[in-house]
Order: sequence, then structure tokens, then C-alpha cells
Amino acid sequence: MQNLVDNTIQQATRNITASPLYSEDVSIWHHMSDALHQSLYRVLTLLIAVLPGILAFFLSLLVFALAGMLISWILRRCLTWAKFDLRVARKSGTDWAPASSPSEIAARASFWICVLLGLVIGVSAFDTSYATGVALPISLLPYLTHAVGAALLLIAGIVIARFLARSVLISAVNAQLQYARILSLGVKWLVLVLTGAMVLDHLQVGGNIVELAFGILFGGIVLTLALAVGLGLRDLVSRSLESHVEHTGERTHMPDEATTASQSIRHF
Amino acid sequence: MATANPIPDNTLATDNTVAELLVLVTAMAPEHFNGVLANLASAFSPENFIVATQNELPADVPSSLRIVATPQSNAAWSIKPVDFVNAAQFGRKHGAQVILILGPEADSLSPLALRGLNDAVSKASIDLAVPHYSLPSNAGLINSAILYPLTRAIFASRVRFPLSIDLGMSLRMAEQLSLAAERVSAVNQGEVLVWPVNEAIAAGFAADEVDVGSRAMPQPSDPDINSILSLITGSLFADLEAKAALWQRPRRAPPIRRPIVEAELSDGTANVARMVAAFQLANANLQEIWSLVLPPNSLLGLKRCSTLDPAAFRMPDGLWARIVYDFLIAYRLRTINRGHLLGALIPLYLAWVAGHINVTASGIPAERHIEAVAASFEADKPYLVARWRWPDRFNS
Repeated sequence: MQNLVDNTIQQATRNITASPLYSEDVSIWHHMSDALHQSLYRVLTLLIAVLPGILAFFLSLLVFALAGMLISWILRRCLTWAKFDLRVARKSGTDWAPASSPSEIAARASFWICVLLGLVIGVSAFDTSYATGVALPISLLPYLTHAVGAALLLIAGIVIARFLARSVLISAVNAQLQYARILSLGVKWLVLVLTGAMVLDHLQVGGNIVELAFGILFGGIVLTLALAVGLGLRDLVSRSLESHVEHTGERTHMPDEATTASQSIRHF
Repeated sequence: MATANPIPDNTLATDNTVAELLVLVTAMAPEHFNGVLANLASAFSPENFIVATQNELPADVPSSLRIVATPQSNAAWSIKPVDFVNAAQFGRKHGAQVILILGPEADSLSPLALRGLNDAVSKASIDLAVPHYSLPSNAGLINSAILYPLTRAIFASRVRFPLSIDLGMSLRMAEQLSLAAERVSAVNQGEVLVWPVNEAIAAGFAADEVDVGSRAMPQPSDPDINSILSLITGSLFADLEAKAALWQRPRRAPPIRRPIVEAELSDGTANVARMVAAFQLANANLQEIWSLVLPPNSLLGLKRCSTLDPAAFRMPDGLWARIVYDFLIAYRLRTINRGHLLGALIPLYLAWVAGHINVTASGIPAERHIEAVAASFEADKPYLVARWRWPDRFNS
């Protein structure tokens, strides 16, 4: 028994001396502290490298916004002095009717062009300082432009979807189609799905999955609409075909209800 | 575009020929043109007038008639801007004091009517004489529903047919209309309309109407109500927008009401059910669009109307006036796309037509109903002016 205890103590002592890393508590904290210091150093170095870029971004934005305000003010005064609004109204006649006057629109446009210019220059400066500050140079600008492009695509898609949906709805209602709303919703979602796929593709998100999903969804919507319209118009098509056969066979003209209606009521 | 002159030499008037009256006859079918020449010959003595036309002369035209050729243009259902330009140009060239413009199918106008138009300008010192046609109760419905009440309320004009296809005018009025025609042609593509009564009132000229009896009204080449209503109403709204500074001034005295003449009744009851169904379908589907244009009161009124049976269907006059005014304001503010806006007006107009047919079928004279509608437009004009100036105030 005494021998067994001695052997165990000796083995434990041997194990401790074999791993020097955990030999003392002080050495663990020391290594952790070293790692933290190195990390902090790296972050601070990166911040110091990037800080001029951030400052340059804000400075550029500020300077160009101020320049834009100045240019806008000067332009507004010049256009007012030149009676630009009056000239445009005379030239365009009755068709000019936006909410703001032409000179106001020109002044605002000049301001926002300056702001946009400042934004681009600022992002470019930030991009340069960021790329030099990190060990692996990654350019932010392409990603940003992709994101902006995707946002513009999304906005344009939503606007077009809304416009087309309204056009279809009004036309279908005036044509007295009972399924006008379904048709309008179908068109709207068709355009929205197309827009969504384009946006994801532009952002390079999803890859083949997006293309496949879009194909299935788009095809599904088209098939649904085709079935809906086909089934809805079945009677109309058969009547039209019958009427065509009668006309070609007998060459007689029977006035339909619509013709009678237009004869009894004269809108003009 | 000028082409070969289709007029024989013996009837050609030279450039320095002077006449008191110039009659500009727009493009029309040969049989109608023959009728117009015959009526002109019996209404006026040949030495007093010159005819300016692009139509080919018939073989048996009297040699005493003096005729000049105008540049060729396509036939239309209304007076085109180029007709106003030609009228001013030829009127100036021949020293005419009175100019008559006769639209398509003008052969249905009697010689007495032609003389009446001429006399109104030459003797009564009116710059613009507009015919007052006697039409069946179910004809000229866009005019009865929108053009007449709106023009009457806004410009305080009693002219019953603001978009007339025949006109009598002084030379200065012709020049004014020529300028307006050039202006609208320069900024608009496709089919455009000139509003003579609005132009006359804007220029401070006297405009009045002359009874001419019945007339065959030419119909637009495209009989689709969607395109006709959008074209006419859109053009009128644009003109009213351009003249907003004028009609917002302190109110002119309302015009004297004419005695109501009962028009010939025609049966249109068969169409009422269809028009009411179109309105009900629109009421179920176009709420989203109407709610952008119309205030809640009007939407509620329309909802009540949509529950009525076709036989009992009525569009209240006040509601109709409010709807037209709200659409005019939305047109000005571009609340929604203008094409969509005018498209959304169509079912409402059909509802008004259905109501009008029911009213006339119940024994009330059509003209009395139309005068009541016009009175509603006049009474509601302050609403239009208020919302035109302060559009944010959606309800008043």
C-alpha cells in the first residue's frame, strides 16, 4: 500500500514538470494579457490608419454640401433674375404642372448633385485609407456601388410594379372583367418577383438557388395567370369562335348588344 | 402639307379678293360638302362670302361661288387646331369681318342657322357665336355631364356646347384662337383640342350662343368611351389648369338661365343595367385609387349608390359635382398618373349617365336635369377654389 502511494506521488510530480505552460498561474495571465495587448494594438493601428479616411469622408461631405448650398442659392437668384419660370411656362404651355417651380427644381438638383459628388469622393478617400490600413487589402467601393445599384433596382421595380398594377386594374375594370383585381395582383407580383431576383443577382447572393427559385416562381405565376384567364375566358372564346363561324358561313351581320348600346347612347 | 389644288380655275378667288364673310369648311365627305355649299348659297349672296376649303369641288358647283383652297389635313370629328390657324390666316388675307368655321356633316345645319351665326357676330357685336344644337336627350352626354356644367361654373358662360364643331367669330377672335391653337399644338403630340369659349373669356371677348336647331353630330373615329372621355376631359382639365389665375378672381355674375326646351326623348334604358354593373364592379375594385382622389364623404356617397338597383339608380347632383372637382384637383396635383386618373373617372361617368337616363325616363326633361347639375357645379365652386389654393384641406 505504501509503495502504491509513493508511485502515484512520483507520477504526479513527473506530470507537472513535463508541462511547463501550466507550471505557474502567473504565466497564464501573462499570455492572455499579451494576446489582448496585441489585439488592442492591431485594432488601434487599424483605427489610426482608417481615421483620416473617416475624417476625409465627413469633411468631403460637409464641404460639398456647403458648396452645394452656395451654388443652389446663386442658381436660384440667377434664374429668378432671368425670369426662368416665366420662360419655361411660356415655352411648355399648359403641360408644365409639377409641385415646384422649374427654378426651384434646378436649384435643388444642383445641391443634391454636389452632395452626391461629396459622398463619392468621401467614400473613395475612406476606401483608400481602409485598403492600406488592413493587411489584406479589400476595396469597399465595389460593394457599396453594388448595394446602391441594388437599392435603385428595388425602388424602380416597386414603382414599375405599382404603375403596371394600376394600369391593368383600371383597364380591366373599364373592360368590365370580373377578375380585374386578380389580374392586377398577378402583374404586380410578377414584376416584384422579377425585381427581387434581379436585386439578389446584383448583390451576388444565393447564386444558382435564386435563379432556380425565380424560374419556378415566375413560371408558376405565369401558368396560374394563363389558367385563370383561360378558364375565365372560356365562354367568351367559344362565343367568339361560334360567331366567327356564323359570319364566315352565312355572311350575315347580327348587331350585338354593344353595337345597340352605342347606337342608343351617344357620349359625344 | 399643301398639295395640288382640287378647285377649278373658274371658282378660284385671288389673293386680294375681299369679302365680309369667310366660311372655312373642314374636311368632310363630298356629299356633305355639296350640301354645305347649297346651304351657303341660299343663306348668303355669293358676292358677300368666300369659301375656304380643302374638299374637292363637285362638278355642278355654281360659278358665282368664290372658293380658295386650304392646305390638306385629315378629317376629324372636331375642329382641329390647324383649322383655327387657317381661319385666321385666310380671314386676314381676304379682309373678312366675320369667319364661320363649319365642322364635319355641317350640311345638316339649315341656311337660317348659318345666317344666325353670321348675324350674331356682324350685327350683335359678339366675338364668338357658338351654336346651341337641339340634340336628343341621350346624345352629347360628355358635354352634358362635364363640359357644360364645368365651363358654366368656372367661366360663368351660358354656352351649352363649349366644344362646338361649328363657330362664328370675329377676325380678332380668330387670331386669338389661332395663337391658342399654335400653342397647344407646339406642346402636345397627337390629337389636341382648343377650347374657344375659354379662350374668348380669357381674352375678354364677348361669347354667346345662337340657336341653330338640330344637327347631325359626327362621332370620333374610335367610338371607345375610354379614349374619348380621357381625351376630352384631359384636354379640358389642362386648359382649366392653364387659366387658373383667371377663374379664381372674384366671381362674375352667373349667366342668365335659358328657358328649358324639351329635347326629343330616346330610349336608352336597356343600357342602364350594364352601366350600373360597370360602376359596381369599379366600386368593388377601384377603392384604392378613388380614395387617393376623393374625400371620405364622396366615397360614402358612392358606396350608397352602388347598393341601388339599376332601375332606381341615381347619382346625386352634388356628389357628381364634387367628384368632378376632386378629379380636377387631382389632375392639377398629379396625385396619381393622369392617364390612371382619367381612366378611374370612366365608371363614375357611366354611373352619372345611368342616373341621367333614369331621371329622363321618369318624365323629367333632360335639359332640366342638366341645368340642375350645372347649378350644383355653380353652388360648389367655392369648394373647388378653396381646394385649388389649399389642397391639403381634404375635407371641408
